[in-house]
Amino acid sequence: MAISNSEGFFAAKERERKRKRSAEVRPSPSKWRTEREQKLYSSKLLEALRRVRRPAPADPPRSRAVREAADRVLAVAARGRTRWSRTILSSRILKLKPRKRRPAGAVRPKKPLASAAEMKRSPLLQRKARVLGLLVPGCRKLSLPTLLGEAADYIPALEMQVRVMSALAEMLSSSGSGAPPSDRLGSSQPV
Amino acid sequence: MSSSRRRITDEEINELISKLQTLLPESRRRNIGRASASKLLKETCSYIKSLHQEVDDLSDRLSDLIATMDSNSPQAEIIRSLLRS
Repeated sequence: MAISNSEGFFAAKERERKRKRSAEVRPSPSKWRTEREQKLYSSKLLEALRRVRRPAPADPPRSRAVREAADRVLAVAARGRTRWSRTILSSRILKLKPRKRRPAGAVRPKKPLASAAEMKRSPLLQRKARVLGLLVPGCRKLSLPTLLGEAADYIPALEMQVRVMSALAEMLSSSGSGAPPSDRLGSSQPV
Repeated sequence: MSSSRRRITDEEINELISKLQTLLPESRRRNIGRASASKLLKETCSYIKSLHQEVDDLSDRLSDLIATMDSNSPQAEIIRSLLRS
């Protein structure tokens, strides 16, 4: 599926991005379900994977390298708008540049439990919210509303990552056996 | 900004909880039914963990498959052209 009016598309995206920046609105998490996003991710991932295989092929941590490449490409696809994606990207680069703080909404407690005062009082809830904060990259100290916002983007992104990697694995394994590869990257598969 | 220090109302918590509910896929939502915030958070954590596990397994699988991609450049070309279409 070729993008016919790409200039119009990008101009519209630019306007949308500016509007969103001034309104401090998050990007819609449903973008992870679009065909376009999936195709973009697939081709970028494939390129990254081809770069992975160059160093020592018998290297045991290669699956680790694949995982990291997949995460990195996913974080790039988020275009720096979410904390989880910025965390993934900055953990790879040498810390030469100071990390930019999010302007508003992010709680900056001195101790991890300081944000607990802002969460619902129940310690059970706090504990579970903390677990969630540990699962989403870079979200350990966030307040509950901000954390849920990050999770709301992170989960669909992960789902897309799984869809694309599965389809890629299917294509590579079927082409290896000589059977005609089926194009499943375009369709959205139920997760 | 002082607004980040205000207490979260119950209403906001409820809003967030229903938002959380929409994040889970149908199969997991059915298991919870009328969920408490705590159950939902737990289910969300479990879901993210399972997604991470899937990605790890797929990374394993892909790391084996790209080795064969190496020796077979016509197939790499086929895959690339499929991705472009």
